[in-house]
Amino acid sequence: MTASFAGVPCLAVAFPATGLAYNTLVVLVAVATVGCAGGVVGTLALLRKRPLLGDAAAHATLVGAAAIVLLTGRRDLPTLLTGAAASSFAALCLLALIRRCTRTRDDAATAILIGVSFGAGVSVVTWMMARGLPGSGTIEQLLLGHAAAVTARDATLLAAVALATVLVVAATLKETVAVAFDAAFAAAGGWPVGLIDNAVTALVVLMVVVGLPTAGGVLVSALLVIPPVAARQWTERVGPLLVLAGLVGLASAVLGVLASIAWPGLPTGPAVVLSAALICLVSILGAPGRGLVARRWRERELVRRWAAGRLTEEGLALERGLHEPWGLAAGPSITVPESRRP
Amino acid sequence: MLGVGLAYGRTGAGGGPAGPPVPVIATTTVVADLVRCVAGDRVAVECLMPPGVDPHVYRATPRDAGRLLAARLVVASGLRLEGRLATLLERLGERVPVVHVADGLPRDRLLEAAPGIPDPHVWFDAALWSETPRLVADALASVDPVSAEHYRARADACAARLLSLDHSIRGAIASIPRDRRVLVTSHDAFRYFGRAYGIEVVGVQGTNTSAEAGLGDINRLVELIVSRRIPAVFAETSVTDRDVVALVEGAAARGRRVRFGGRLYADSLGAAGSGAETLAAALQANTALIVAALREPVADAAPPSDAMGIGP
Repeated sequence: MTASFAGVPCLAVAFPATGLAYNTLVVLVAVATVGCAGGVVGTLALLRKRPLLGDAAAHATLVGAAAIVLLTGRRDLPTLLTGAAASSFAALCLLALIRRCTRTRDDAATAILIGVSFGAGVSVVTWMMARGLPGSGTIEQLLLGHAAAVTARDATLLAAVALATVLVVAATLKETVAVAFDAAFAAAGGWPVGLIDNAVTALVVLMVVVGLPTAGGVLVSALLVIPPVAARQWTERVGPLLVLAGLVGLASAVLGVLASIAWPGLPTGPAVVLSAALICLVSILGAPGRGLVARRWRERELVRRWAAGRLTEEGLALERGLHEPWGLAAGPSITVPESRRP
Repeated sequence: MLGVGLAYGRTGAGGGPAGPPVPVIATTTVVADLVRCVAGDRVAVECLMPPGVDPHVYRATPRDAGRLLAARLVVASGLRLEGRLATLLERLGERVPVVHVADGLPRDRLLEAAPGIPDPHVWFDAALWSETPRLVADALASVDPVSAEHYRARADACAARLLSLDHSIRGAIASIPRDRRVLVTSHDAFRYFGRAYGIEVVGVQGTNTSAEAGLGDINRLVELIVSRRIPAVFAETSVTDRDVVALVEGAAARGRRVRFGGRLYADSLGAAGSGAETLAAALQANTALIVAALREPVADAAPPSDAMGIGP
């Protein structure tokens, strides 16, 4: 009955050449594009120092998905995701309003919103379940994700949205990065900071929503946070950071899907998040510049030079490097002097 | 003994010694149907879970707790079918008698979902389920001893009807050619059905719907469908059908057209007006769908000859 959609042909054509099972290919396409785009968009949110934006967006999706099922009676994926996106965006607008109009701390406001919107979602779903209304099972699947059931049409939709998101980021890179680094400076320079902030918020919402079917509402925000943090260990510059974050997202997606096939019982979404966490751990330990191992090594080098009476300007520069906080916006990037290498 | 029973039954039906109907709550629609069958109008049966609800994941609301406490007897399906009600039912047992009907079935006739854990979906074997009316009658008699004989007589009639249902299902399934007797469904609810009526059953998810089907399971099933030339796959009314859609698509990509056989009644009976409000009707509806979808082979590969769809 569901054999021919737009988008399926290209997957069906690509399928014999890959040597993968067809459903594996479909899921791989969906998860990999979403993972990649999640890394890119997540980088923007992280640069803007709002890593919890994704979490807030994700927790607000449940109520919208449930409400739209109640209102329309339809429970196909595009309908569900439309509802999820609507409530998620509404919640983030509310968050912006709280930030602007009250004196609540940003993280406190986010925490409140996460709790309230998720509570509302669980209430609606439980109410539906108690009434025996159809669709509560489908919505619950969005909560934990269900990558194995992604069809070619779903995959096409998710991949298209993810690609469009990346294109938007690429097209507006200058503006978004300027605002992310120094909103006040950007505003002084005449940039429409509010508009750009809203655009980034919208991108985060889109990424969270397309991540729901595979990773689920509880885990999807991890796909926006972990890859950028991992990528940040390897580079000091924004362009490479975005690309690397996308690659880390992609690699974790592929690893996660393969792991979930290799170990039956390991669900795909959590496997992807765990793979991302593994890459992040390796990066934090082993990256040449910021990695813990490299820093410890430089520290010992510093002591050695001190003992040898050769502490000079370069030593002070090195010490600044050791204590530089995470996050690009912390200050001007440090160019590694030649002398820092032993 | 028989004479007394008949006498009681007749006078009771005529409105003799029976008081107001005894309030009884059944957890699932299947059990509610069973209790109604056994109790007749002596009991006001209320069903906790509405039709269409998946009992594996149903969570009780505070109002439910109140309803359960107000009952004289609570009848549950048992064998851990009501996963998320288990603790509530256990604690309730201190205040109101709770009967888990499937727990009273002989252990050697149960299938195992996992080592040591019995599969709770016993009602799909009508012959096995025909043991339960007697258990319900005993439970009802313990809270309403006046009508005990009434319940026992009705229980025997229920059991007889289930046995004749068992017979007709067996005949219908036997009309499917042997090599096509494979039932692929959303979750492993139909293993008793398979054992009783000689049809191989394969579920995408395990016995419990709250576990997620992995990608490996989907790939394995697509392989099975293609290699065994299985003509149709089925979804269930109380479980999402996204897994099954993925199966159809995966098989199509391998050049094998698979029919969507329709939605089977699994862990919940149909809503009012669906024509499957009773277990007998639901089992018959399931059997009709299965027979219609599996009796004819599906044409190989590309030729577009599957337009006939599901049938009535």
